[in-house]
Amino acid sequence: MSTFTLNDEEIEFKPGQTIIEAAKDNGTTIPHFCWHPKLSISGNCRVCLVELENIPKLVIACSTQATEGMVVYSESEKTLEARNAVMEFLLINHPLDCPICDEAGECKLQDYAYKHSIGESRYVEEKTHKDKRVQLGPRVMFDGDRCISCSLCIRFCDEIVGEPELTFIKRGNGVTISTFPGKQMENKYSLNTVDICPVGALTNTDFRFKTRVWDLSSNPSICTGCSRGCNIDVWVINNEIKRLTPSFNKEVNSYWMCDDGRLNTFKHVNAKDRVDGAHLRKDGQLIKVSWDEAFANASSELKNITNKEIAFIGSAFSTCEDNYLFTKFAKDVIGCKNIDFIRHTNPDFGDELLRQNDLTPNTMGAELTGVSPKQGGLNLDGIVQGIKSGKIKGLFIMEDDLLEAYPELEKSLPSLELLIVLSSNFNKTTAFADFVFPAATFAEKNGTFINFNGRVQRIKPAVETTDLDRSLDGMAMSRLDKFGTSFDRWAIGNKHDARASWKIISGLSVLFDKKLKYKMSENVFDDMSKSIDAFKGLDYDIIGKKGVLLKDKLNEVTQTV
Amino acid sequence: MEKIVLPDIKDLHKIEVYKANDGYTAINKALSQSPDDLIEQVKKSGLRGRGGAAFLAGLKWSFMPKTNDKPKYLCVNGDESEPGSFKDRQIFELNPHQLIEGTLITCYAIGAKTAYVYIRGEYHKWIKLFQDALDDAYEAGFVGEKMKETFNTDFACEIYIHKGAGAYICGEETSLMNSIEGQRGYPRVKPPFPAQNGLWGCPTTINNVETIANVPKIINKGWEWFSKIGEPKHPGTILFGISGHVNNPGVYELPSGTLLTDIIYKYAGGIPGDKKILCVIPGGSSMPPLRGDGIEGVKMDAESLKAAGSSIGTGGIIVMDEDTDLVKVLARIAKFYYHESCGQCTPCREGTSWLVRLLDRIGQGNGSSHDLDMLIDVASNIEGNTICALGEAAAWPVRFMVSRFRDYFEKRVKKEIVLPVKNKVHSMRDTAFPLDSP
Repeated sequence: MSTFTLNDEEIEFKPGQTIIEAAKDNGTTIPHFCWHPKLSISGNCRVCLVELENIPKLVIACSTQATEGMVVYSESEKTLEARNAVMEFLLINHPLDCPICDEAGECKLQDYAYKHSIGESRYVEEKTHKDKRVQLGPRVMFDGDRCISCSLCIRFCDEIVGEPELTFIKRGNGVTISTFPGKQMENKYSLNTVDICPVGALTNTDFRFKTRVWDLSSNPSICTGCSRGCNIDVWVINNEIKRLTPSFNKEVNSYWMCDDGRLNTFKHVNAKDRVDGAHLRKDGQLIKVSWDEAFANASSELKNITNKEIAFIGSAFSTCEDNYLFTKFAKDVIGCKNIDFIRHTNPDFGDELLRQNDLTPNTMGAELTGVSPKQGGLNLDGIVQGIKSGKIKGLFIMEDDLLEAYPELEKSLPSLELLIVLSSNFNKTTAFADFVFPAATFAEKNGTFINFNGRVQRIKPAVETTDLDRSLDGMAMSRLDKFGTSFDRWAIGNKHDARASWKIISGLSVLFDKKLKYKMSENVFDDMSKSIDAFKGLDYDIIGKKGVLLKDKLNEVTQTV
Repeated sequence: MEKIVLPDIKDLHKIEVYKANDGYTAINKALSQSPDDLIEQVKKSGLRGRGGAAFLAGLKWSFMPKTNDKPKYLCVNGDESEPGSFKDRQIFELNPHQLIEGTLITCYAIGAKTAYVYIRGEYHKWIKLFQDALDDAYEAGFVGEKMKETFNTDFACEIYIHKGAGAYICGEETSLMNSIEGQRGYPRVKPPFPAQNGLWGCPTTINNVETIANVPKIINKGWEWFSKIGEPKHPGTILFGISGHVNNPGVYELPSGTLLTDIIYKYAGGIPGDKKILCVIPGGSSMPPLRGDGIEGVKMDAESLKAAGSSIGTGGIIVMDEDTDLVKVLARIAKFYYHESCGQCTPCREGTSWLVRLLDRIGQGNGSSHDLDMLIDVASNIEGNTICALGEAAAWPVRFMVSRFRDYFEKRVKKEIVLPVKNKVHSMRDTAFPLDSP
């Protein structure tokens, strides 16, 4: 292994690595703006200038390759002088609008100004003014004044998405970012530019001016927009999700996620049509009742239907734990063989980068936990036909909207004797349900998803329900969560009365002979790992933060980004 | 004294006149030798680049890889954008065929089959003149596929003219390549150097027009002959373009090492009104200026000027008499580099605008001694921290002008100097280039 000296410490490097990469691998971050591990080197910000022994000029650590025996100083007097100089240059024309800037609190320029700058400005001239509020595309807003011309966003579009939509225009101090004449930045990954923008020049139109980032808590989770399973952080204030951002997982999504996943997978959590508490139909109306009442009535009605006349529809939106108990309930408790789930695909959704045509996060999980017809049972088509013909009299649906997928059932659904639906939001199907149990969303429960190439990954709660407590259940806390009182407007977040589907099923099973009792989703998983080969040897700790590939998938080609 | 690049031969730009004066014989001679021999001869001749850095041309050529897995290119840099430089223009106009012949020899020596002559866009007339000469050379079979027949050789080389679009930065060798590729004129981060990774990722050599124009004579007359002209460490003649307050501005081809005072007084006819010299910039506006009272004995070659605290640059000498408003001169120079900064890297993009704003304020009479320190400080913070040499080009004039003329600048900020009434040239400049704020 080759080595070089960084700040009097000998560190190892791989052939071809640059100083900044080798330093990073050894735990030293050399300050930088324009460098990104997944993008080409542009060398324009000049913050990573470092001193090399016996070389008169400073070199940039992002483009200089490490060589055997090289002596690098990233904190020497000369280096610091240059870094201070560059920071001063970056700040002279940067507007002092941090108090109203969305980036404040997670701004690299702000952080570096504290860490690497002299702390005062010698600049007394008029600042340069550029265009503010330029709508670069439907989802991204640009503020020219704040831009430090690092070109990360341009390179992201060019190199990662492969759609060169942004460019520099003008020159010198007038340089600014623009789309091409008559064009917009509308690629499916455009919001990643907001993440990598080191300043507040690019903002997310869905998030800007909504909140201060330091008031948000963030919890790791998995995007539910397709079967890629992009790793995300769920950002919450006042128990309401404000945004999702991708988090790095080199095996799954690298640093990125698509705009659809980012914007369209959490709005239902905060929506007004949430099912809040258990509901049953009385005199044609769905009314809220206690859980016990709903369980008691539902169980007795379930017992009135023979196991051949009932069908179960699971969900690829639900976790493995949910589907596992769902199957167990159908099979072992009710003794029903008619079980399947709806596949949601869109042949136009997928692409080469991240997006998959399967629009659900857990198809493989539903398959592996046995959500498929047992010998002699009906599959989804059979169940749909059975509903139409009247052969199926009872239906138990978990986290899916059957009517949305099969509009032709509109006339047959009302004639079912029993329709039980577990759903987070009211939808077309719940309109005909006899029982609606409030299912917790992905942001309100623990569990696992298996992505399209067989990687098991954990989701963790970020939003409280009456069933989950922020501190007791280990969710991250924001400043407001810690110090807010019930007198503070922003601390009286709306908590829904909802439970994870596995928990609802478990509660229901208690009223049957065979009881499915579990304390936590982790216990469900442990049981699953004992009884299903694919999960053998796994537990939540082993799955960890980045997930693991199922054993029988290890040999298959793994797709890394 | 013999002139190498611009000999006094009438109508030398015409191909038949050039041919009658041993034209296109050097390429013939070169083709009978090995490329390595040619590189060796140019190395021994001591020919140094005339574009500013005065790097040994033969050594630069030798950096080109000997393998043939990728095409190789030669770029002939005729962007000539440095204020005070107007020498390459003379070559395009008066001796284009020697440049073409030099280009062919260089291509053969470095193994290139394609050469691009990059000419600044503003040179409409000279682009046309050079294109005409190139057309003639093609027609005569000296360039392109026909070469094989003409010179009975396997070697053929195409020469293309590439027009600049008005950016100073495209004279920087890596921006020049980006510009030829059709990219934005941004300098590239080095390494990799052009000899490894140049035009379209292929090995490329970039030489100045004047450098290349010297090559045919070196081949024809021998490296020893060339190495004995002028100063041994920077041999040959240099095209000195002299402008400013002199009676006979123009381009003078003189041996390297000629006294600066000789160029000003003997060749350029001295200062109008016999005024004293306040300041001389010896190599184009980006080079450190010299005090008028310190130019006695200064010789014009790379080493001597380095010793005198400046640099040969492009040999563009700008002379300023004692009545010159140095604050305005410096503001104008700073404004040029501010306007021409490509904006890619932070110190240059932000620093050049700071310099202009400071100098504007000083020019308006609102400066202080502290602002002069600030100028030097800001300039020093740009210097050495940028991707390309424009950082130095912008910083040097400011840093050296202020520090070398500190007495003058101090008097100006303290309003102890009463500026003379503007002369006609000054007032014309005012209209042509208004010094508005950035």
